[in-house]
Amino acid sequence: MNQSAQTNPDRWKSLVLVLTLVNTVLMASVSALQVDANIRANQANRDAQYYAVQITGGLAYTGARGDFDTNTYAISVTNTLESLVAGYTALLRQEVNDTQGYDALKLEEQIYQARADRATSLSVLQTNPAYGHGTTQTAADFTAYFDELFAPTREILQKQNNASDAYHHWNSKSDSYVAVLTVLAVAFFLLGVAQMTRPGLRLLFSIFAVVVLGIGSLWTLILLVF
Amino acid sequence: MEETKTKGNRLDVWIAVLIALVSLTTALATWRTSALGSSAGDLIYQGFIDAVKAQSSATENWRNAYEQAAYTRDYLITLDGIVAEENSTDPASQEHAAQLRANLLPGMETLASPMANDPSYFTPEGWLNVQKRFDELQAEDAAVPGLVPPAPDAAFALADKYFSEQRWLVVGTILIAVSLFWLGLSQLSHLRMRVLILLLGVLVYVFGLVWSVGVEVYFIFLRGGVL
Repeated sequence: MNQSAQTNPDRWKSLVLVLTLVNTVLMASVSALQVDANIRANQANRDAQYYAVQITGGLAYTGARGDFDTNTYAISVTNTLESLVAGYTALLRQEVNDTQGYDALKLEEQIYQARADRATSLSVLQTNPAYGHGTTQTAADFTAYFDELFAPTREILQKQNNASDAYHHWNSKSDSYVAVLTVLAVAFFLLGVAQMTRPGLRLLFSIFAVVVLGIGSLWTLILLVF
Repeated sequence: MEETKTKGNRLDVWIAVLIALVSLTTALATWRTSALGSSAGDLIYQGFIDAVKAQSSATENWRNAYEQAAYTRDYLITLDGIVAEENSTDPASQEHAAQLRANLLPGMETLASPMANDPSYFTPEGWLNVQKRFDELQAEDAAVPGLVPPAPDAAFALADKYFSEQRWLVVGTILIAVSLFWLGLSQLSHLRMRVLILLLGVLVYVFGLVWSVGVEVYFIFLRGGVL
């Protein structure tokens, strides 16, 4: 061995060269993968933020629409009840022969009923069969109404969550690729030392480099699969 | 022996020149790769600003449309109450209705304009068509130059093209950087080996350069001539 090393100082240099080539190719590939992961993370981050802007708008819209619809419903119900109370009170006044009071309360009943009728006709919650059962006698199906009202925003929220998860996934991959590149840089260093040193140590450093290269390759494979 | 040494020295100079050239190309390719990422980032930033502006405008228009719808609802309900009073036989109620019609309704009608008196603002089911009013407000905003920003989709799509180019250009940059490594190695190696390594370095460099230029030209075409 020693004799052979003395006669051939370039012993194992070809091996080191091949290993350097392999490490170079691997490092180049991991660099490309790191850039790709970083780009994907950027795109997912952008999508997540864009969806967040849309969610803000969606919530403002659902707030305005919900406020209008529930207020219209409340006005309709209030006027209907006022009308009923006025009509009932008119009957009570009739029983005690208060004609003037009866007339005034009947008129009040009609006014409230006219107002209630208009409010009901404008109320989606009462006249849309999807939530109102097509009648003013039963309470509106608020669950169905709010489910439908928030459905588009929930859909965007789901997309936002997915994009956010994708961002974390790719960002984490990108960071891991940087770590792999560091490991491969260590392999480069070991191969550089191997290239410069005497044949006996050259083989030892090459073995160390192969181990480090193996760790880097395995890590890259794990990152590619998961 | 002397001739070999002279050849070696001459090769040293050539390798040094090549290393300088490749270093310059690597720096240029790295700058371009970074600039592409920067351009994509700028476009995304611009897209976000546009998205926030457009969303603020839409939010304000929805608020405005529903505010007008509420005024319209209140006006119509009050009007029907007044009509019921007018139809009564009680003179006092009729007078009360006349006073309301003269003093209260005009103001309410103004607030409820244009939805209250235009049947096109009602759906076939009889509900107020707030979507139509919102669309009109959006169209009014769009008619004012510079008020509504362009949709961010275009900026995002262009950013994706820059990202795509960056992705492919990185491959070229890496190839050029790899060739630099080989050239460096050839400088350190012995004569027979160094020629082989030098050739390998030059080949990788030329391939990387052609690749990078090809990617650049292709994507400039794809962006319609925009650098």
